[in-house]
Amino acid sequence: MFGLIGHSTSLDQARSKALALGFPEYAEGDFEMWCSAPPQLVERIPVTSLTGKSIEGAYIDSIFVPEMLRRFKTAKRKVLSAMELAQKQGITITALGGFTSIIFEDFKLLKEQQVRATTLDWQRFTTGNTHTAWVICRQVEVNAPGLGIDLRRAKVAVVGATGDIGSAVCRWLHQRTGVEELLLVARQPQPLIDLQTELGTGRILSLEEALPEADVVVWVASLPETLSIDTKNLRSPCLMIDGGYPKNLDSKASGETVHVLKGGIVEFHQDIGWQMMEVAEMEKPQRQMFACFAEAMLLDFEEIHTNFSWGRNNITIENMDLIGEASLRHGFQALGLQAIGLQAIGLQPIDLEAISL
Amino acid sequence: MATLASPAEASTQTQACGSLPDFASETYKDAYSRINAIVIEGEQEAHDNYISIGKLIPDQAEELGRLARMELKHMKGFTACANNLGVSADMDFAKRFFSPLHGNFQKALAEGKVVTCLLIQAILIEAFAISAYHIYIPVADPFARKITEGVVKDEYTHLNYGQEWLKANLGTIREEFEQANRENLPLVRRMLDQVAGDAAKLAMDKEDLMADFLSSYQESLIEIGFSSREIARMAAAALVG
Repeated sequence: MFGLIGHSTSLDQARSKALALGFPEYAEGDFEMWCSAPPQLVERIPVTSLTGKSIEGAYIDSIFVPEMLRRFKTAKRKVLSAMELAQKQGITITALGGFTSIIFEDFKLLKEQQVRATTLDWQRFTTGNTHTAWVICRQVEVNAPGLGIDLRRAKVAVVGATGDIGSAVCRWLHQRTGVEELLLVARQPQPLIDLQTELGTGRILSLEEALPEADVVVWVASLPETLSIDTKNLRSPCLMIDGGYPKNLDSKASGETVHVLKGGIVEFHQDIGWQMMEVAEMEKPQRQMFACFAEAMLLDFEEIHTNFSWGRNNITIENMDLIGEASLRHGFQALGLQAIGLQAIGLQPIDLEAISL
Repeated sequence: MATLASPAEASTQTQACGSLPDFASETYKDAYSRINAIVIEGEQEAHDNYISIGKLIPDQAEELGRLARMELKHMKGFTACANNLGVSADMDFAKRFFSPLHGNFQKALAEGKVVTCLLIQAILIEAFAISAYHIYIPVADPFARKITEGVVKDEYTHLNYGQEWLKANLGTIREEFEQANRENLPLVRRMLDQVAGDAAKLAMDKEDLMADFLSSYQESLIEIGFSSREIARMAAAALVG
């Protein structure tokens, strides 16, 4: 059995979703009530692969909302309690979705293995980052040529290059895709130097230096709010993969030759009878989902019951191959510019001066 | 991977972790006199309640008598904790504190309502005790920590007893259980509100207490066999009731 741990994108949205799902008591609750509320196993989900294999999973809402990010203890407890619930339900592999994996990493919850009487078994959890990284690379490989960008002659900027997903994307784009040059952007200098050494390639640049040179920009970081970008110096065309969380690049974008694609999203071969992806505001909530969630399904289909994606910078090309092959075999497809129509996915003109990330 | 804008800022709230309160301070001892009294009174009530429930289900009287004796042992342990700190437990406060729940239990007992009695004692009170003890252990003085660690293991067996009986009778208990939940769960929140200030002086956070209690309570309801929807509805009674 696979599990997905998720959350709503705001308290208001959580309240209206609670009402729609038949939990009116929660819809009436105030912020303090939501802070104290325990995680909920909201629905059980049967899924059938393209191969015909069927598995069952569960969606656990952590009852976390981003407004709780400033309350360290609350955020921490929400994630750990949701993991405890997943484990106690006997779920063999559970993906940490949205902010939950970010909280796990940034608040160093690896040190918090004991939750009340439960010792969390890390083998039962995955960040889903291997699949997310593979999907983002695939989105680059499939969509850049469609815009007339020849990747062998292209410069690809990876913003957040030293993170778990960012470093995996760099490895793949260098070794497998064979892009002309990688432009490495991140906040901390030393990890960038380490990454450059590991890759044996790549140029370390600031965001301001990298953007005017980049044919493709992969965003896998949240950036300082004060940052502003000069649109006049961008390449034309420019493909931007919005692989961070939350995905807000397209809503802030306007311009003519900058193409923004939601990164790390996959579409399943058939509808899934669930209600929860509507919360994530997918274009096709019955089929589309975060690649990290899909990773839990893939691991269950493949009967790989282990923490496949765990810790930082452990993602190997071999594991990306493995999860990528499984992804295609079981009927997932990376979201593309073609797949849902250019207008629908944020191919709107982009005004980078208006972006403040 | 995206990162949080300012985890450093967020983690400034963690100061409570790692630093223990001053157990010898007057402020601590004053708060302890009420919290400790509640625990002692809670264990005494638990003893009495299990004996009473044994009268409603005579074939279980022996097992319930065994649970009751464990509660008395716990009471003695917590009394020793107060002595160790040189604190006199404020038992009058504790009796007033428990009186609404005590009244509801006695009423259900008089009406022969086994389900309500088990819900109040074996589920609500035990789930609350377990979560409160878990939160107390890391911030307790060394003597009390050892005692409490022993107690918390026993309390799980009591919670388990109630769960198993209710699970075996799930087909017939739903209506009474939901009604008893509605009437008693809000009391727990009010009781917690009353002692939140004292608990904070013992470095126990109110939100943690409520959240962990609800997690334990919810876990019990899952074990008994209620559906996710029933559980969410019942747990919400504590939060919005």
